[in-house]
Amino acid sequence: MKILIIEDEPELRKVVQKSLEDSEFLVEFASDYASGIQKIEDYDYDCILLDIMLPGGNGLDILRELKTEKPETSVIILSAKDSVEDKVTGLDLGADDYLPKPFHLAELHSRINSTLRRRKQNGESSIKYKNLEVLPEERLLKVNGVDVNLNRKEFDMLYYFIVRPNRLMQKTSLAESIWGDNIDQADSLDFIYSQVKNLRKKLKENQAEADIQAVYGVGYKLV
Amino acid sequence: MGNSLKTYTLKHLVYILLVIIAVWAGLFYAILLDEVYDNVDDGLKNQKINIIREAYADTTLLNIQDFGINQFRILPTDTLLKENRFSKELIYMEYDEELEPYRVLRTGFYAPSGKPYSLEIRTSTVEEDDFKINLTVSLLALYIMILITIYVVNSFVLKRALKPLQSIVQSLQSYRFGSRNSFKESESSVTEFIILNDKLKEMIARNEELFHQQKVFIENASHELQTPLAITINKLELLLDDPSLTEKQLTEINETKKSLHRMVNLNKSLLTLSKIDNRQFEEKSIISVNKVFEEINDDFKEILEFKNLTLLYKNDGEFELNASKNLVTILLSNLFRNAVRYNKENGEILVSIDKNSFKIANQSNLPPLNPTIIFERFYKYSDDKNSTGLGLSIVESIIKTYPELDITYSYEQGMHVFAIRRK
Repeated sequence: MKILIIEDEPELRKVVQKSLEDSEFLVEFASDYASGIQKIEDYDYDCILLDIMLPGGNGLDILRELKTEKPETSVIILSAKDSVEDKVTGLDLGADDYLPKPFHLAELHSRINSTLRRRKQNGESSIKYKNLEVLPEERLLKVNGVDVNLNRKEFDMLYYFIVRPNRLMQKTSLAESIWGDNIDQADSLDFIYSQVKNLRKKLKENQAEADIQAVYGVGYKLV
Repeated sequence: MGNSLKTYTLKHLVYILLVIIAVWAGLFYAILLDEVYDNVDDGLKNQKINIIREAYADTTLLNIQDFGINQFRILPTDTLLKENRFSKELIYMEYDEELEPYRVLRTGFYAPSGKPYSLEIRTSTVEEDDFKINLTVSLLALYIMILITIYVVNSFVLKRALKPLQSIVQSLQSYRFGSRNSFKESESSVTEFIILNDKLKEMIARNEELFHQQKVFIENASHELQTPLAITINKLELLLDDPSLTEKQLTEINETKKSLHRMVNLNKSLLTLSKIDNRQFEEKSIISVNKVFEEINDDFKEILEFKNLTLLYKNDGEFELNASKNLVTILLSNLFRNAVRYNKENGEILVSIDKNSFKIANQSNLPPLNPTIIFERFYKYSDDKNSTGLGLSIVESIIKTYPELDITYSYEQGMHVFAIRRK
């Protein structure tokens, strides 16, 4: 999978690049409007992470260009300006998703994954890990081909885990990504613990080979 | 409310004129009457001279000892009265059989024989008294007329003259801070009003500009913070992935990240607040508060369960608003989040919605709050670390965006109640 990051902030670019490369993505980058246009004309990418405010131009113009030239490419807009207007314009122009900064890397991975999966016309639409199979469109979990009944939030949690198995999923990121600011930080640790406990119980009851493991006090990972 | 400028001016004008004109009329009356009696007295004195002259020429006159047609009498006397003594007397008149007012002059003189005589001359003052009554009536009528005229004329002139002021005052009353077009200019040809109008316009423009700059500054500052925050958090996240870290290091990094999260939340709240204040949520549609609440409630389900809180939801009718769905969601989430956050163990949350109101009440260990300060920015109950201190400010800002809504806080039967009502 080839991903292009168009982002002028070098440190942010580096950290996203490193995180994506760790997950076996091929990553290239452009740091301004002109080189961004150049890259999308010369090469093909599966997904483009696009900042809106760029030196030399507006990211939305790159999006316009891209949608006429290569409409099959996925685009996720990354913006420091969490404005409803930009979001609506971006999505209207054909962006797949809109992620306001600052974001969790886990959230970014989950969004990239969903976007790529939706784009894939004839590939597998499910994510498999050991004897687990997650069908994101149907919001369904199968263990050994048998449906497991998960509630909405349990499914969201599992999705975060299965997109990046064997990776540390921090409790705070998990709480933030799934429950937003509805849950207090003070409560979040115990709360996440109880939610993960429920999920683990369901996995175990259904003879899943995968399990969610606690990593010190910091978070969990799917193994 | 005090009196209007017009009423105030007229009232004082009338009070002062009442006294001044009354004094003036009194003086006029006194002087005029004095003059009238003076004339009568002068006539009597003149008559005295004539009578004495006649008496010297014809001594038979000295024998007129009764008032007859002459209206005088001469009596011999022992004690001579040298000066003229005037008096008012009531004397019986045969003609109309009653007492009539008379002016009487008493004096004395020596006859040519050297004998002293007293002289009494009288004259009827019926006419003068009639004049007095007429004068009083005319003066009273004039007094009332002058007052009425002054009142009417002034009232008319003041009304016209103060019209521009009135429209300036009306403009100021309809002016809302944050929308400078709500101050309407008033036309006037009076210099003072033109200056007042211009200066007000200038002042409003200057204040609005300053306020705008400040809002833009907060928004920009918050925006500028987003990227460095993103970088720091994401770098820490990457670092947490490093398998060579010890538990202690992991925990430390995690703690750091948590503090950063507080900053992110604070920053987000500030941005939300300035976006609401800058009216960046303008898209409106008909929103059902009931539906929005039910969606939010769905998000809170696990949290309620986890905290063992009971929600009692009373749906008594659809509360519909023409508003931004985003804003209504933020509004209800903030209130609901507080009801969850400050609830007590195994507590309850009551939500009731009807056609014109949304009410949320929660139990709590907190005492009643002070309604005058809870909506202030960065107000927190004690040192609550989880709170940004902006939640209720955001609620208030949203309510202010929709002038048809109103929010109140009250403490009823051990519950903290927030109620949003259509005005």
